[in-house]
Amino acid sequence: MASRIIGIDLGTTNSCVAVIDDRGQASVLASPEGERTTPSVVAWPANGGDVLVGTPARRQAVSNPGQTVFGAKRLVGRKVNSDDVAVLAKTAPYRVVAAPNGDAWVRIGPVGRSPQEIASFVLRRLRAIAEAALGEPVTRAIVTVPAYFDEHQRQATRDAGTIAGLDVVRILNEPTAAALAYGAHRVGERRRKIAVFDLGGGTFDISIMSVENGIFEVLATGGDSALGGEDWDRRMVERMADEIFDKSRIDLMQNPVALGRLREACEAAKRALSVERETWLRLPFLAQDQDGQPLNLERRITRDEVEAWTAMELARVDEPCQQTLADAGLTAADLEEVLLVGGMTRWPAVEATVERIFGKKPSKGANPDEVVAMGAAAYAGIVGGDDDGAALLDVTPHDIGIKVGEAGFSVLIARNSMLPVRVRKLFATTSVDQKFVSIELYQGEHGDVRKNRRLGQVVLDGLPPGPAGSIRVELSLTVDVESIMSVTARELSTGKEAGVTLRPSGGLTQREIVEIISRRREEETAAMAQPPTGSGGLTRVPTRDLPPLKRGD
Amino acid sequence: MWICGVAVDRRGSYTRRSVSSTPLNIKLRCGSWQQLANIHRRDLSRHAIFLKAANPPAIGTPVRIDLTLPTESMVVLTGVVAEHVGPGGLGGRGPGVDIKLNTLPESAMWLIETGLASASKQGAAPAPAPGDAAVEDSSDLLEAEAELIAALTSEFASLRKLNPFQVLGVGYEADDDQIRAGFAELTKRYHPDRFTRYTSQELRGLAAEIFILIRDAYRRLGTDALRTRELQLAGARPVIKVPSLRPPAVVGPPAAPAAPVVAPAMAPTAPIPPPRPSPLGSPPPAVIASVPPPPGASSSAEPTVARRPDTERRPLAVAPPPLADDGRVDFRAADGLLDAGRYDEALAVFKIYARKNPHDRVARAGIELAEGLRALAQRDRLEAAQRFEAVLEVDPTNERAARELADMRRMATNERRGLLSRLMGKKE
Repeated sequence: MASRIIGIDLGTTNSCVAVIDDRGQASVLASPEGERTTPSVVAWPANGGDVLVGTPARRQAVSNPGQTVFGAKRLVGRKVNSDDVAVLAKTAPYRVVAAPNGDAWVRIGPVGRSPQEIASFVLRRLRAIAEAALGEPVTRAIVTVPAYFDEHQRQATRDAGTIAGLDVVRILNEPTAAALAYGAHRVGERRRKIAVFDLGGGTFDISIMSVENGIFEVLATGGDSALGGEDWDRRMVERMADEIFDKSRIDLMQNPVALGRLREACEAAKRALSVERETWLRLPFLAQDQDGQPLNLERRITRDEVEAWTAMELARVDEPCQQTLADAGLTAADLEEVLLVGGMTRWPAVEATVERIFGKKPSKGANPDEVVAMGAAAYAGIVGGDDDGAALLDVTPHDIGIKVGEAGFSVLIARNSMLPVRVRKLFATTSVDQKFVSIELYQGEHGDVRKNRRLGQVVLDGLPPGPAGSIRVELSLTVDVESIMSVTARELSTGKEAGVTLRPSGGLTQREIVEIISRRREEETAAMAQPPTGSGGLTRVPTRDLPPLKRGD
Repeated sequence: MWICGVAVDRRGSYTRRSVSSTPLNIKLRCGSWQQLANIHRRDLSRHAIFLKAANPPAIGTPVRIDLTLPTESMVVLTGVVAEHVGPGGLGGRGPGVDIKLNTLPESAMWLIETGLASASKQGAAPAPAPGDAAVEDSSDLLEAEAELIAALTSEFASLRKLNPFQVLGVGYEADDDQIRAGFAELTKRYHPDRFTRYTSQELRGLAAEIFILIRDAYRRLGTDALRTRELQLAGARPVIKVPSLRPPAVVGPPAAPAAPVVAPAMAPTAPIPPPRPSPLGSPPPAVIASVPPPPGASSSAEPTVARRPDTERRPLAVAPPPLADDGRVDFRAADGLLDAGRYDEALAVFKIYARKNPHDRVARAGIELAEGLRALAQRDRLEAAQRFEAVLEVDPTNERAARELADMRRMATNERRGLLSRLMGKKE
């Protein structure tokens, strides 16, 4: 029986869940505590209690930095030696380790945890929010990912869904989801080009896409995976800490608890300054000086000040925008609309910068924190219902081809081919009385096949005898909308066939996924048998119920 | 063996008593208002009833249907078997027969409609127990999936025979915008995402196959250069040896040196009159002969024989196609007849010429086209579809047939969607 499909924005810093309501409108589902977004933070408490997710996890981060994981999205489907991971591993307070297959995992106590598993805690929390809000079980979801995510990262995201008990019916690009939520597909029938400017908590993405007749095509994407609202917060914190040091010789950098409070206060001040021109930072008893005197921070802070401190950060959005425009072969004048996504686009200076770069006022009708989830929900409505206003076409992110000769790479399906796709190609034998052919599939952009990623192999044996080149083998390669490939090789005269189905790998095998699921079930039954003690279970995450949270601010 | 229509077959009980020379008597019992609503919506509203049948009685067999309503009142409907619906026909409901009702007493309709209205007001009070309803719904859904698979299978088979222009349902002179629009429309209908809600893997695989056809067609028409090439492929494709597939209309020794093949098959700019903006495939009304010919046709050359008022009442006594100045056959008259909805007469014209030149593919295509349009007018969609496909086998550039086929497919999708969404909607 088809249940409702929810839309999930699994963000780097915050996540959000939405659904199509009975009136056909996408609406965000709030947690019972009233939170409309959930911090993408997962923590294993130092005292060995249950895993914490969301706000409670973030609250205890300062006292438990080594086992509080944020930004797991940056690790999903990545190798530990990739550039992005290396940067994160250096700055993150938790330990990034290498899994046996080279994937980046996180070490929690004695065990390595895959980022898929960590992300699954967030997904499960969102699922529970949706079930509580809808009053019915939820098993199917559409989850968004950045447009630049490759197939492994997408599959890893699917796997995270599977671990969370969700059937991920579709992975959707975030800019596309945002454009859907803005109703970009409803505006006329003609072909329009739009930009989606997404500055979130931790990442900046810019996508140029074309929309026509409800069909979306991503023309180019770019961005900076290490630029976001958190950088603004960090600048403010650094400034405040410096000022405090200058005035009272207290080094807050040595005081994680105080630093955590300061960061929260700065973030709140930033939000306030998005609307007001000035606000107050008030933090009584922030720290103590050498004499034991308390430090009460009370400071008026203005938007102009913060803008001056963060001018460097703001300047970093410029180049990716220009580059992406150039990649798409367009100029700013070709764009009809620029859509703003991500909480940081509320910051007036960001909006002004976008207007300067693209020469037009950006659209910001919807709530930028929620617009991606709303778009995912909108597409869930389309997939599950009769709204035929749009169909989203996915493309292959990389060239797919076969190995020829020693290291040659012959592309069968070019990058950016619309899915699903099938190609057929004829091959001939290369030697006399050749007994078998071996066809190896690779994915990537390198001419040297060894630098590409190997997908799999088909061997067709029992070929009839004949001179070189006389025996023909037809290779048929199909990639479906879920990027699952099926490959068949067929000898034409005898009709003999060999085939294989290749699923994209997210780094976890099917077996590992099942193991994680069953391990978690065991952990949960154990936890159920032992009622929580201590803090009254205020921040516990039980299997299905929701934790009674207190609103933090 | 008779099996009743979708809405009645499981819960409704039925018997069949066949007495020679008296109408076939079918008893239909509607156990729930929902079933009745289905019958009302899908069948009675078009003065017909569809019944599933593996072994359908001959067309023209009189039928009497005793329809028992959930209130136990009985309504008698009479009609004749009007159409054999092939597998997947009638929006995926076939195989079976469509019975055209000749009387639909006002009192019966009143009984049904007031019953339905009061039932829906009471929130389906007389409906069966909720548990039962769920079972019925999910099996209805399964059945709907099976029907959908059958329908998609036949649509896939039909699409495979077409050239890229015909797949996208665009004309040979279509520009980028039209091609993208055609692609977009088909994408929204057939993209595998649109079938995500069904559990059947087969169904989703089928949708993917169809979509691959569509995307390939789109890619092959992406630029002007590509289109020119495809056009040549379509026009220059050797004529398929029709006699082996379908016997020629008339057998006989080839008469006289055949006139050169007329231009339509060769070039996109040929004088096939532009098809009327067809009202989505609905058959033209019977009185269409009195409608003035479409502007596209009337503006071309001088008035033709067919459109002279004095020939309007001479259905079969048609003059052979006149020769144009250059000695080529002028089929505009016959095309004009087709446009005017006078299919029998057009058919006669084409046949006369085909008798003289059995190998002229334009004439043969014309025969099939006329037969197809006539079948469509008689609501025999299966026959019509086969005829249109035959046209394209003979003359792959025939836009009229391609367009009629595209319209039929579009209509089938719409009907299917309506049916399915109601099935899905019931659960909420």
